[in-house]
Amino acid sequence: MEEKLLSIKNNAISLILETKSVKELEEIKIQFLGRNGEITKLLKELPKISKEERPKIGSIANGLKNIIEEAISTRETTLKKTKVITSRSFDVTEPGIRPALGHLHPVTQAIREITSIFTQIGFTRVRYPEIEWDWYAFTALNFPQNHPARDDWETFFIKQQPDEKKGTVLLTPHTSSGQIREMEKGELPIKMLNIAKTYRRQSDVSHTPMFHQFEGLVVGENIAISDLKGTLNYFVKSYFGENRISRIRPYHFQFTEPSFEIDISCGVCLGKGCRLCKEGWLELGGAGMVHPNVLKACHIDPEKYTGFAFGWGVERVLMMKDGIKIDDLRILYSNDLDFLKQF
Amino acid sequence: MNIKILDSWLREYLKTSATPKKIAEKLSLRSVSIERIENYKDDFVYDIEITTNRSDLMSVIGIAREAATVLQQAGIDATFAKPELQLPIIHPKKNPELTLKFDEKLINRICAVVIEIKIGESPDYVKDRLEASGIRSLNNVIDITNYVMRETGHPTHVFDYDRLVNHTLLIRESKKGEMITTLDGKTYTLSGGDIVADNGKDEIIDLISIMGTANSIVTKDTRRILFFIDNVEPVHIRKTSMEHGIRTEAAILNEKGINPETATDALTRGIELFQTLANGEIVSEIFDFYPNTPQETIITLSEQKINSLVGIAIPLEKSIAILSSLGFTVDRQGEMLIVTVPARKSGNDMLIPEDLIEEIARVYGYDNIPDTLPATQIPTYFHLEKNEFYWEDRVKDALKYWGFTEVYTYPMVSEVMFEGPLEEAVTIQNPLSDDMVFMRRTVVPSLLRVAKDNQEHEAIKIFELANSYETNGKELPKQNLKLAGLVKKQNASFLEVKGIIEQLLADVEIKNVIFKQLTDRYGATILISSPFAREGQDESKKTYELGTIEIFDNTIITFELNFGRILKHATLKKIYTPVSKYPPVVEDLAIIAPAEVQTGELMEEIKKQNTLICEVSLLDKYQETRTFHIVYQSYDKNLSDKEVGEIREKILETLKKKYNARLK
Repeated sequence: MEEKLLSIKNNAISLILETKSVKELEEIKIQFLGRNGEITKLLKELPKISKEERPKIGSIANGLKNIIEEAISTRETTLKKTKVITSRSFDVTEPGIRPALGHLHPVTQAIREITSIFTQIGFTRVRYPEIEWDWYAFTALNFPQNHPARDDWETFFIKQQPDEKKGTVLLTPHTSSGQIREMEKGELPIKMLNIAKTYRRQSDVSHTPMFHQFEGLVVGENIAISDLKGTLNYFVKSYFGENRISRIRPYHFQFTEPSFEIDISCGVCLGKGCRLCKEGWLELGGAGMVHPNVLKACHIDPEKYTGFAFGWGVERVLMMKDGIKIDDLRILYSNDLDFLKQF
Repeated sequence: MNIKILDSWLREYLKTSATPKKIAEKLSLRSVSIERIENYKDDFVYDIEITTNRSDLMSVIGIAREAATVLQQAGIDATFAKPELQLPIIHPKKNPELTLKFDEKLINRICAVVIEIKIGESPDYVKDRLEASGIRSLNNVIDITNYVMRETGHPTHVFDYDRLVNHTLLIRESKKGEMITTLDGKTYTLSGGDIVADNGKDEIIDLISIMGTANSIVTKDTRRILFFIDNVEPVHIRKTSMEHGIRTEAAILNEKGINPETATDALTRGIELFQTLANGEIVSEIFDFYPNTPQETIITLSEQKINSLVGIAIPLEKSIAILSSLGFTVDRQGEMLIVTVPARKSGNDMLIPEDLIEEIARVYGYDNIPDTLPATQIPTYFHLEKNEFYWEDRVKDALKYWGFTEVYTYPMVSEVMFEGPLEEAVTIQNPLSDDMVFMRRTVVPSLLRVAKDNQEHEAIKIFELANSYETNGKELPKQNLKLAGLVKKQNASFLEVKGIIEQLLADVEIKNVIFKQLTDRYGATILISSPFAREGQDESKKTYELGTIEIFDNTIITFELNFGRILKHATLKKIYTPVSKYPPVVEDLAIIAPAEVQTGELMEEIKKQNTLICEVSLLDKYQETRTFHIVYQSYDKNLSDKEVGEIREKILETLKKKYNARLK
């Protein structure tokens, strides 16, 4: 008897869920709950059951009746609602009503991505002055007094009386000034990422007088060239993709020794060599092991600690990304809204 | 700086079976960067980038030595065929007259010799080698000077000996206002402090180490030349060359400083070429004035230091082999290397152990060093709430999703765009143009400019987060981040912009924001009231100014906020207040009040009447009626009509007394 009840229930529920209209549902209702319905019939047979079992079966049968009634009513609501929605005409191909959406500048987007990559391996982003003393931009970075970077035609200087110790006031030509700011805090080890506006006195297809750099600095015990290589490669693979490879070449900077330049395989020809690259490679930027004179200028013992640093152009890595196709750096700062809305 | 060298020329001094492609690959990774290999007739040209500290490599011979070293270390057969030239011994019959005078502070070395020559054409191989190097072939004599420069790395010059009045060269600094005409016919007025040669009669006859002058150079009629190799103080050369834009190859080389020892190579090779290619006959003794000779340096280096800086163990024998092959003298003492940098290699950035480690590591091959990540612990803790970049991102994202587009404008502005007293402006001493002289004190003018540049857009919403700059006495100028925005559309609404700022601040949990009407312009000052403000305290201490909203015209409204102050007050702290179990009572009161009474004031007054009033907002404003939506709610009980009625009465009574306002 119990089994019979259960099978009636399952049968009823599945039939109810399959109904497509209120009319169909009405028929099901009659089939199960009507005067000659299956449940009613069953209940009529109740007296034939033994006295002991009668109350139990009776209550199951009543419960079953309730479940079926509820299922029918739920289905009825659903069917009626569907009817309302289908009766209202709508055209899915009409434009949606969109919330406002602006655009972040591509440089902001690049800075965010770069920051995410380096914070992943333990770097902390910092911010230091854009207008700086000569000491931070040049002298402490081991630039000799007569170095060409100090020329009027390379760096912007501010009209201000030079400080006796810290020298002239200038617009930072590189984020490397942040190395000195960071090291003079006197806390080791260091794993710094300094991203900032930088300024150089030039303007052409690949230079704007204001641009952005990101500078990494790691100082601690036993920091070696292999650590620099690993870190830079981590960035290259993360930012440009795992199919791109990097290489380091000898180079020269005042504030690092040894110094390197980092190339990545060209994204267009994938290293085969093409019109856009140099024998399959694109120059990414400079790096090196922190020069002992720089550590000394920041009161760090170069016999005990070593470090590496790199400083690259944000715009440069952005433009070297696959598929972006920006061929003139100046467009980034044209603030043409038709350009910006593409990002 | 770049130089171009023909493969066949390089192979005169480099004996190897390596292909040009192989040579380029190994040099790029371990020495100088070969940016391109191009075909030239049936030969190849290397386009090579040389770093400024290695002017010794701006030569065929320098590159040949490097190539031999790196190829050998890479296991490829290669030898450096070192030039073995001797200076000819000369016994001139009658020494031609020549007076040379100079200031030793300006001169490192000067070599000079008078040679009788016959002007003609250069042989094809000379023309090809020069032209492939980007140097135009002129005649055999001029070609030899360029050929020698490219091959040895030392610039050289020739005068027409017979055009030198008095046969005198007085090398001195120029005086301001002196004029010269260079060999290309251009006239320059010197600003003083340039190294020039004077013929003893106050006439300049050469712009030393940069370019010859028209009055002394070789012509087609020249019979006797003065072959002249000058090695002078580089800072002077840089100044003159940059100031007048005379960027000859000689200037570019000389401003980097060329080792004066190489002058000997240039002299001997030059004499040899004049003899073979221009029927040269030496008619004077060889003059060699050498007041500033470079010194050799000794650097001590330990194996441990090499290995710990490189990050891999390099056998000491390998280091010794590399250094020796590059021309250093190495003496091994246990695990220490005593390295002598010969005078001929001095001035090329070889001073400290790290300089030598660079030589070892690069030739060993950076590609042979593994990649590791620094084992350094993470040095600082991270507090999201104190992280200015987190707040920056959050605010920028909010604006973006409210339809604003971010712009980046130059912080250097013109006088017209500068706001504030000009004499206090942070001013650039050497601006690139008149448009970029002052460091801006406000960001909004730059946004107005962007709006103007994008005139064709009827509706614009833009923002920028950037520094403003202010002079600060003897200290560095103040550099404070400002968040500026601009809304442009037909009938731009102040309330829309105000609403944006209210929500922006609400999102970073800055409350107690007050807007006060500006008196001198259309717009509002935005203030934050201090949580510590007390009654009767000075007004300026009770509030902090956050910025302004300014109505520019019917279509443009701008704002500029002090971002540093936002950072100071922004917080992630949330305080939970339990939700009341009792339902609120909500009602709308239509109030007729005189027009001059400000809505903000009315709302504040209503709110003040009872603590059970938990929300007051403006539902509608029509003519003189303002409808306020009021929510009453208690945490302890259901509010009865009577209780609400009493509060309502109090509100109406106060509004009447204070503002002469009444219920509609």
